[in-house]
Amino acid sequence: MSKSISELEARIGVLERKIEREKKARVMSEQHLEVHSRALYESNQSLQTSLAIAKKKQAELEFLRQTSGDVSSDISLQELITNTVELTGQFFSVECGLFIVTNNGQALESKVDNIWRAPNKWVSDPVFFNQAIQFLPLEQQESLSMWLVSSIDDEASQALSGFKWIVFGNFALLGGKIAWLAFFSRAEFLDEEALSVLGTAREHLLSGITRRVTDVSIRKRTVELQNTVDRLKQAERQLIQSEKMASLGQLAAGVAHEINNPVGFIRSNIEMLEEYLQDYQGLHCSIAEALTAEGQIDTQQYNALCDKYDLAYIQQDAQDLLISNLEGLDRVKEIVENLKTFSHSGDGKLERISLNLCIEGALKIAWNALKYEHIVDNQLNADLPQILGNNGQLQQVFVNLFVNAAYAMTNGGKLSIKSTLTADRLIIDVSDTGCGMDKKTLEQLFTPFFTTKPIGVGTGLGLSVSYAILESHNVLTQVHSAVGKGTQFSLSFPLPE
Amino acid sequence: MNFDYLEVAHYPLAKIGLLPGMARIEEYPMKGIIFVKLNQFVDELWGDEFWDELLNVADLPSHGIYTSVATYDDEELFTLVGLIMEKKNLTAQEAQIAFGQWMFEQLLQAAPPEAHKFTDVFKFLYGVQNVIHVEVKKLNPEAILPEFEFLEETPTTLSFHYISPRKLCYFCEGIVQGLASHTGQQVTVEQTECEHQGDERCVMKVTKVV
Repeated sequence: MSKSISELEARIGVLERKIEREKKARVMSEQHLEVHSRALYESNQSLQTSLAIAKKKQAELEFLRQTSGDVSSDISLQELITNTVELTGQFFSVECGLFIVTNNGQALESKVDNIWRAPNKWVSDPVFFNQAIQFLPLEQQESLSMWLVSSIDDEASQALSGFKWIVFGNFALLGGKIAWLAFFSRAEFLDEEALSVLGTAREHLLSGITRRVTDVSIRKRTVELQNTVDRLKQAERQLIQSEKMASLGQLAAGVAHEINNPVGFIRSNIEMLEEYLQDYQGLHCSIAEALTAEGQIDTQQYNALCDKYDLAYIQQDAQDLLISNLEGLDRVKEIVENLKTFSHSGDGKLERISLNLCIEGALKIAWNALKYEHIVDNQLNADLPQILGNNGQLQQVFVNLFVNAAYAMTNGGKLSIKSTLTADRLIIDVSDTGCGMDKKTLEQLFTPFFTTKPIGVGTGLGLSVSYAILESHNVLTQVHSAVGKGTQFSLSFPLPE
Repeated sequence: MNFDYLEVAHYPLAKIGLLPGMARIEEYPMKGIIFVKLNQFVDELWGDEFWDELLNVADLPSHGIYTSVATYDDEELFTLVGLIMEKKNLTAQEAQIAFGQWMFEQLLQAAPPEAHKFTDVFKFLYGVQNVIHVEVKKLNPEAILPEFEFLEETPTTLSFHYISPRKLCYFCEGIVQGLASHTGQQVTVEQTECEHQGDERCVMKVTKVV
């Protein structure tokens, strides 16, 4: 197969052009590849930069998250400060950090290790500490508004040799004390961005410290308030006692009358008995005179003598008088006992008591105020369950209610006492048919020193003290009143479990 | 190598040059791979002297220096195809179908692995848009790809709307035929509607011959 030279030359021409095109195509491809490689390299570089930035941001966020997490947690101020030193030291990649508390510019002795060393160790190093705090303006009494940076003079101290920078800040604590945090870095340059993150963390820390400082002052105030409450409670106890005594004073005349009455009839009974005794003596003398030498008296003469002295009647009447006297003395004894219970200040302890006895006692004390013009309708069930209460205090309440009822019924009326028993409560209703109260009076019913009685007659403390007593007994108190019709107090006592 | 596509050369010649419907308003960049493959196709079919001759006559802006990674004005492709049609007495339809048929295997080799899973012409056509073109876009975000809008399917027929600014519907016909050779299925491809025949759109109908 042979070809002419011209054919071969043409073939060579075709191939040369083809090679030329291929060469150029290769150059183009390579250029293309270079452009692509460069683009790839650049995007790779920018990705790595972005990654580095992202990692840094993540570290910053993590740092801020941890610091703000600590700030909002319940850890103590001491823990907060040590945690902050640790976290900040790690985040800031410094070799060493410390905290110190000053008072009037003087460093206070630390109870715990106060120097932190990377990676995470707390130590005490007095030499380093004393050198280090030379760089802090401890005499400064005000808190700094930002982190401050100082360079460390290499020659200055041996303990600090190698450290280039100190970054520090302070925070006001209670009682004029100031906490200082300081970090020591060997780095040639400090990362400005990290400093700004520290600034943010400082704000968090500041709020955390403020909160804890506030907590401490709140606790102090709580203690003060508790003391005040205790004093008030004591004053209240004294007030209850005073009011009781005052109402006792007001009741005194009535009570005296109650006592005087039996004393009066006992006395006249005894006078009677004295006469009877004289009669007995007269009879005795007459019998002695009438005796014969043998010492005998005849029945007829004896009977005549007895008749003369009315002996049968005397014997019967003396018996009656003695019974009456005993009854009278019992009444006096009872009133005195009730007065004793009533006036006894007691310790306010709650015991199982019977409301029946308590109310009956109160009725006896207030009896003089009621007995003349009022009907007392005591409908209490005889076997009410016992409740937890203080007999003296509750008696004070009921006396108060009864006397008030009597006062409201100047022209006579009816005082009713009723009981209702539910599953877990015993309700006592005390109602009168008196003048009732208008809305305005009702609203101030339990207000101390509010009284509708004339000046000098009421203390205005009776119901407010009663209310306080009922509160301390967990009694629910309801008052219903209609002007001109009457008033009802409903006292709902909880039954013991 | 299978040269069955040469049969198209025996089709009666209708017209030389671009058809009226192929009149182009805009220019689109085209991937260099198409030019490299056209070069290869022409070399295989008619020898490198013919390619050399085409380039000499065409006097293209790129001077025929094609690399698969660069892009070129697709006007160059139409110029080259036009010259082939002129010199080899082929219609645009014949030229595009023949090139498309040959091109399928070439494209398949360059296609993502997903493209090799298909064993059925219809399933492959469905996969072109959802699988293959997705992968192509990942590598060449700026590539201009045709869209298929499926219209009707029976067990033996599939109709779809061919949408492409390049209006290479005949090339698409050839590609489908190449695909059928690849899956070993016998199909006929016809256009029930064609923009080059004065219709509004191009609709391909592929029928499986049992």
